[in-house]
Amino acid sequence: MTAASVADEARTLAAPAGWVADVAAITGRAVRGILREPELFLFALIIPVFFFVVQVGALGDLARRSMGISSYAAFQLPIAILFAAASTSGGNALVLDIANGYWDKLSVTPVHRSALVVGTLFGELFAVLSYSLVLLVFGWVIGVRFAGNEVVGALGLLGLTLLFGVGFAAVSIAVALATGSVRATQSTFIIFFPLLFLTPSALPRDQMTGWFDTVVSLNPITYVVEAARSFLSGIDVLVIARGALAALLFSTLTFGLTALAFRRRVRMG
Amino acid sequence: MSAAIQAHDLVHSFGEVEAVRGVSLKVQEGEIYGFLGPNGAGKSTTVRILTTLLAPTGGSGMVLGHDVAADRTTVRRLIGVALQEAGLDPKQTGRELLTLQGRLYGLRGSVLTGQVAEVTELVGLADALDRRIQTYSGGMKRRLDLASALLHRPRVLFLDEPTTGLDPLSRALIWDRIRELRERFGATIFLTTQYLEEADELADQVAIIDQGRIVREGTPAALKAEVGADVIDVGVDERECGAARVAILEMQSGGELPAGELRGTGTGYTLFVPEGPRNIAVLIRGLDKAGIRFGAVSVSRPTLDDVFLAATGGRMAAAAERADSDEQERVPEPAGRSAP
Repeated sequence: MTAASVADEARTLAAPAGWVADVAAITGRAVRGILREPELFLFALIIPVFFFVVQVGALGDLARRSMGISSYAAFQLPIAILFAAASTSGGNALVLDIANGYWDKLSVTPVHRSALVVGTLFGELFAVLSYSLVLLVFGWVIGVRFAGNEVVGALGLLGLTLLFGVGFAAVSIAVALATGSVRATQSTFIIFFPLLFLTPSALPRDQMTGWFDTVVSLNPITYVVEAARSFLSGIDVLVIARGALAALLFSTLTFGLTALAFRRRVRMG
Repeated sequence: MSAAIQAHDLVHSFGEVEAVRGVSLKVQEGEIYGFLGPNGAGKSTTVRILTTLLAPTGGSGMVLGHDVAADRTTVRRLIGVALQEAGLDPKQTGRELLTLQGRLYGLRGSVLTGQVAEVTELVGLADALDRRIQTYSGGMKRRLDLASALLHRPRVLFLDEPTTGLDPLSRALIWDRIRELRERFGATIFLTTQYLEEADELADQVAIIDQGRIVREGTPAALKAEVGADVIDVGVDERECGAARVAILEMQSGGELPAGELRGTGTGYTLFVPEGPRNIAVLIRGLDKAGIRFGAVSVSRPTLDDVFLAATGGRMAAAAERADSDEQERVPEPAGRSAP
């Protein structure tokens, strides 16, 4: 081999890939990871469906008789969907990468650092969308119908769920980035209980009194739940707009936390 | 020839623990540079700084003229890195991992497919490429990690303990590949190792690091020549040990054998003297004349472990044990904290 050909071959092939290409590559990997763990997929769906069946079975008649709710299944379906949307595992996948060294392996490439997080969030969007679609089909099969146009209702509910779900996934991603601890990241699931159950999850807000009513009214997720129901029980633009705003505020807050944790993680030294 | 890697007085502390205490080095283009030291000597921390994963708390590092702290993106394009803990996503197949890695280096289409084929052929993984990584053995993971570091034809390759924990066959395979890389692509290779024979086999230049400082640097031959003696091993029957010792010491005091350290080995003696091949004959004649029955006699050049001993006053194995016990008191290195 001549000196000139050695010099030619010595030239690196690496070139700037661009942020969009980086995000696409990381998203592809996140989606593959989700599809290869169907057991997580089932787990994320079984619990919401179980709660849904128990609630509707136990309280369906009572709700119809004393609260005037004609379909308690339609009343509960948004809760099951939001429940599933909060069961994503993006932070878990990320914290495993950090713990086993794959994050370092990706970090020595010229990838845009933010693409590592944004791609993971897009993977979570895919998971939330899949869970929601399965539960919408489940609802449709058992007779739950949207109030207005089915397509508008389905798209509206999906949009709202994605906004909430990605905001929720951002919490566990923030904890993963900030702590690098598998246990801490898995524990973020706990914050989901007050957020989703200190809401009108079992009965409408006008039936509540005392401290519970106060706490529920202060919880932004309350408005997300009410907006989600509005697509099924009767479209109320104001309620939907208020819910979308609440989901947006929630997600903005959690994205902010993720951005802070991300800066901490990539800060040199 | 210009410098591919330069470090000037690199320092890194984890809290109060100084892992790297002023490392300066220069690696020429096309060279295989062996960074040899026991566990906990500061090898990996130095590599993490030079590969942009960790900011130095003092000093500076350059790769092909680019500052590793200020010009990180350029450095990342020029280097390939196989870290000590081969962190590979077990859920992906080998091909998926390599393809993703290639995309992040901006490789596309036929160039990407071509490179994936080339590097997997090079490391001998072509048959396992479409299997999930979770089914790979330790050696296969290392080879995949090496392949992924080569995809974009890096001009400088950092290999952090590429063969630690591998069986001899896998180790020999990786050694062959490392030599091939230099021959085919003229790549500069920065190799950390705790194996003396690995540094000896592969490296053009060796730096020996202990407790965060480089204690010796040079070609393996020059370093060993610095020890200034050859090693003569003589096997002696247990009952004749005392007599053999007296005979050897008498030869030394009588001027037949040059002065040099004599150490008992349990099965005989090791004698450190210059001009081993000439003096082995003197030793054999002397022992024979004294009527001592001896077994196998051999002469060898000093090893890098002898160099380590001369530089630090201890053997590498002992230094590794000391580092392991210190480790319990240390602040752990923050895994995964990286540079933007």
